[in-house]
Amino acid sequence: MELNIYAYKCKRCGEIHYPYKTICKKCGENDHNEFEIVPLPKKGKLLTFTILHNPPSDYEVPTISLGIVELEGGQRITGQLNIKNPKIGMNVEGKIEVVRKEAYNKHLGMVFYQA
Amino acid sequence: MSVDVEKILRPIDTSLPPFPAKFMTLSNGQEMMVRQVNRDEIPDILPHVEKLMHVERDYYHIVAARVYAELLAYYTYRVQDEYVLIAQVDGEIVAVVNGRIVNPDIGMSYHTLAMRRGLRVGAHTFAAKMEYHIDILKQKEVLIVAESPIGFRRWMIEYKLEKRFHIPHELGGCPSWSLTKELFDRARNTLVVGRRPVPEKLLAKAHAAILPPTDPPKPPEDLLAATRSMLDNTGTSLIEMKRRLGGM
Amino acid sequence: MREVYVAGIGITSFTRLEYPLVEIAAYPGLMALRDSGLKKIDQLYVANMGSGRVNAQTGLASAVVDHLSLTPAGAVTIENGPASGASAIKEGFMAIASGMHDVVMVIGAERMREVNQLEATDFVATLTHPLAEYIYGVTLPSLAGMFARLYMEKYGVTSRHLAMVAVKNHHNAMDNFYAHLHEEITLEGILDSPEASTNNPYVADPLRFYDMCPVSDGGACLILTTAEVMKKINKPMIRIAGIGQATDTHAVHERKDPTDLLAVREAARQSFEMAKVKPQDVDVAELHDAFTILEIAESEEVGFFKKGEGHIALEKGETKIGGKIPINPSGGLKAKGHPVGATGVGQAHEIVLQLRGEAKKRQMQNAKIGFTCNFGGFGNNVVCLTFIKEK
Repeated sequence: MELNIYAYKCKRCGEIHYPYKTICKKCGENDHNEFEIVPLPKKGKLLTFTILHNPPSDYEVPTISLGIVELEGGQRITGQLNIKNPKIGMNVEGKIEVVRKEAYNKHLGMVFYQA
Repeated sequence: MSVDVEKILRPIDTSLPPFPAKFMTLSNGQEMMVRQVNRDEIPDILPHVEKLMHVERDYYHIVAARVYAELLAYYTYRVQDEYVLIAQVDGEIVAVVNGRIVNPDIGMSYHTLAMRRGLRVGAHTFAAKMEYHIDILKQKEVLIVAESPIGFRRWMIEYKLEKRFHIPHELGGCPSWSLTKELFDRARNTLVVGRRPVPEKLLAKAHAAILPPTDPPKPPEDLLAATRSMLDNTGTSLIEMKRRLGGM
Repeated sequence: MREVYVAGIGITSFTRLEYPLVEIAAYPGLMALRDSGLKKIDQLYVANMGSGRVNAQTGLASAVVDHLSLTPAGAVTIENGPASGASAIKEGFMAIASGMHDVVMVIGAERMREVNQLEATDFVATLTHPLAEYIYGVTLPSLAGMFARLYMEKYGVTSRHLAMVAVKNHHNAMDNFYAHLHEEITLEGILDSPEASTNNPYVADPLRFYDMCPVSDGGACLILTTAEVMKKINKPMIRIAGIGQATDTHAVHERKDPTDLLAVREAARQSFEMAKVKPQDVDVAELHDAFTILEIAESEEVGFFKKGEGHIALEKGETKIGGKIPINPSGGLKAKGHPVGATGVGQAHEIVLQLRGEAKKRQMQNAKIGFTCNFGGFGNNVVCLTFIKEK
């Protein structure tokens, strides 16, 4: 099964939200909480990034790279980068991988590679 | 007769290459110089170390007491193959580090005592000590222990030291950690910095006199206050606050 | 609406404080009581972000009100992230303006150094979106790093400009007894010398060690009251003239332009409008420089400079003490320190000192109008205050 990160599409106005919201940001009238679950695209452009040299203590690596990516549909997502020399504006493609381990819990998230 | 006993008591030092002095710029723009001192200069250093023996915060008291003993032992020829490096800013002493050579391959790091807090003064001087062992004396590894949480964070974590828990360290027999040449090479250019040769002017200033530290760590003013918190053994701020309130 | 004045102020050093959180909160309260000459209050607000998690103490306000023997006055703890401080001042303002209470004490207090730096950073990171940010290892420094990279690319801000903010604020803090860092730094030492990359390593590339605020403990207090009570106590008439608060999306990536600090702009606009002043009228300001880039960005968003020109004004020295609009004369969060919940009250404390003319060496001459910007989350909850000195 292909893993995805899911976004929430308002059934009234079609606005896509990631992350989830209770009331639609665009039409503001989605008071019945009616959203369709749609997978986020995986290709996009890197908007900005940072290399974090003191990641939270549950990471057993010296640095992690984080970035904000504008995906093909126009939605944006924060994710980890697995790219040697990231540059603003470069094309990237995401994969769903483990991004954080907390004791027995593994969290899945988007990790971007150079496209 | 006494002369003969002294001969027995006094170890014969191996002749070791000296540590070539180096200097670096600190965050505040001042230039700090690290150099080796010989026995003649130890009496100039001891009084400044002694004051820190009474600073009961962040383990300054135990480190200072042990450094004092080690420097005295070095001065009176009671340790074999010890060396002492000091860091100076404008002649003022800001750090002392020392250690010993166990055998051609293994070094024993003793202490790092920063007499001015912040600005990576202690960290730079510790790095110089490691450089002496690995680069100048061409040793394979240096055994290290930490006596304070600050030291543990600086050495064990920043340098990612390897465990050598089966080897008791000379400082109290604690389990040792090791800085190998490989780990040192990894830290080169990030943790280990400094420039050579040292400009004549800087060298002359440092050798002219070892001046006392102008801003040494100070003891908490009321030890009673130190008992107020379970997790921290110091209490200067409370006292400062009390004094201010009283003076208002 | 009744006018609201600052009757008394108090503060602790923003540093590593080695006594219980309740006392960190109580001492500035005691100092403010002495400063104002008042003995009783109607209501206490305590701003704090992490007592439950970091210090294992909940219901802080109840503990503090008893510690100060001010019972049976009402007491409420306010948690609003790093904007807790100014949010509590807003609550205090409303309590008096509405006619509900006459004397309100607002305390901000935080003790973060009880845990180590990594735990403290992780505790602050719980501000981020739990599913879209936190699980990736996002911390506040990393959000600031991403913000800074885009900002630098867009507006030509360089590492040198960021370092200049740090140098300026460290210099200002030298004259502030209560500041966390009493340490001059130079561009040579943190940027130009061969050792600079060791002295000032990258933390969240492009931000370095000296671009980050320290982790501090500390407390600050303001006593607010009405014009009527002020007549009795003979203190300078410092009025809280404007308050603005605005929010933005929780996840930073959802913003149309990630270099836009919409909430700052909106909160500042509201605050100036309410005070009936313009940004250009402000004599002295305390901005939320948890990261050096934020001082530059906020100085533009609140309206002191045009967008993209904050770093030019910094270069010209306009934000120094004695410049056109001195920013962070106290040293700012960068050097004065950042005990998260207390910061907003600490900023107000500095502005009151400046307007009273009690700031000693770092005094801005004839300051009449002061401004603070307290920035919560990564710009998702911002409170701006405008203070005016009346004759």
